[in-house]
Amino acid sequence: MKKSTKALIGIVLTAALIVSFALVYNRFRPRAGEGTKSYTLEVVDDAGAQNAYSGKTDSEYLSGIMDELVAEGDFTYDGSESEYGLFIMAVNGVTADYDTDGAYWSIMVNGEYGQYGADSQPVSDGDDFELVYEKAQ
Amino acid sequence: MKKHSKHKSSENDAYEIADSRVGDTNYRPGRTSGGWSIIDIAELGMMTALLEAGKHALDFLPNVELVTLLLIIFTLHFGLRTIAATFAFTAIETAFFGFQTWVIMYLYMWPALVLIVWLNRRKTSVWFFSILSGLYGLFFGAFCSIPYLFIGGINMAFTWWVAGIPYDIIHCIANFTLCLALFRPLNHAMNYILKITSR
Repeated sequence: MKKSTKALIGIVLTAALIVSFALVYNRFRPRAGEGTKSYTLEVVDDAGAQNAYSGKTDSEYLSGIMDELVAEGDFTYDGSESEYGLFIMAVNGVTADYDTDGAYWSIMVNGEYGQYGADSQPVSDGDDFELVYEKAQ
Repeated sequence: MKKHSKHKSSENDAYEIADSRVGDTNYRPGRTSGGWSIIDIAELGMMTALLEAGKHALDFLPNVELVTLLLIIFTLHFGLRTIAATFAFTAIETAFFGFQTWVIMYLYMWPALVLIVWLNRRKTSVWFFSILSGLYGLFFGAFCSIPYLFIGGINMAFTWWVAGIPYDIIHCIANFTLCLALFRPLNHAMNYILKITSR
């Protein structure tokens, strides 16, 4: 078999794998429930001070709740896109700079560390979220 | 005696490795005894520095990296010694970012790439390595999810893998494109460097 034919077959098979992976993602990706959902969001800053928010939302993801709170005016955050999704850099004016002091904002969901970034963390009715300023050990 | 291995082919996508030491375990300039020569150690340092530079140069683009391509080139020219560079690279990354789960993944993912390339070191097609590079990127998340099998079971590993599939697809396309575009110039540069530095 000519090398150009082998290369073409390889490219076609790779493309087929990409499509298969995309289908798996579409079938099993994290989804949020529909409808109005109640939530609480607690912010624990670098001094340990807590600031709690609660309400109801139709947001699919945690970042939606954060955007709603920003619009209400009593909450601010700053972040950047990373390979793991939205990377939270600052909440309510408190910046966690990993490069200088190993600090970061962690996401807790119902008392456990979240598995996703804020923009892919699903919101379900009754969820308790925490944004906690932490330092790497 | 220096070994000159040339991959020649009538196909126009073939590349050439002049002065390849792959497969010739006796050729080690500067070697005085068993183990690593001074030149080996210097090459390890250069490889690690280039891997770090390649990683951080494209940090602003999620899952677009030069590490895969560099490791392919290094393995074709330096053989299995490249595995040492992957460990040095992982150690420096750990010093930068701290010990997290990804460190465990790096400890087997990058050496596995070197091993796969080494087993295919006689392949002469740039397309082959471009496709290999793409597939490595596509399956990166799947194989990186292995530690989560032990942490949280199959469900956690599967969920973690699925959540990262869009990034794996970006990784695949970026790896394929970068390898196709940069394999020849990097390989040419490596041939040139080895030629002017060989004794």
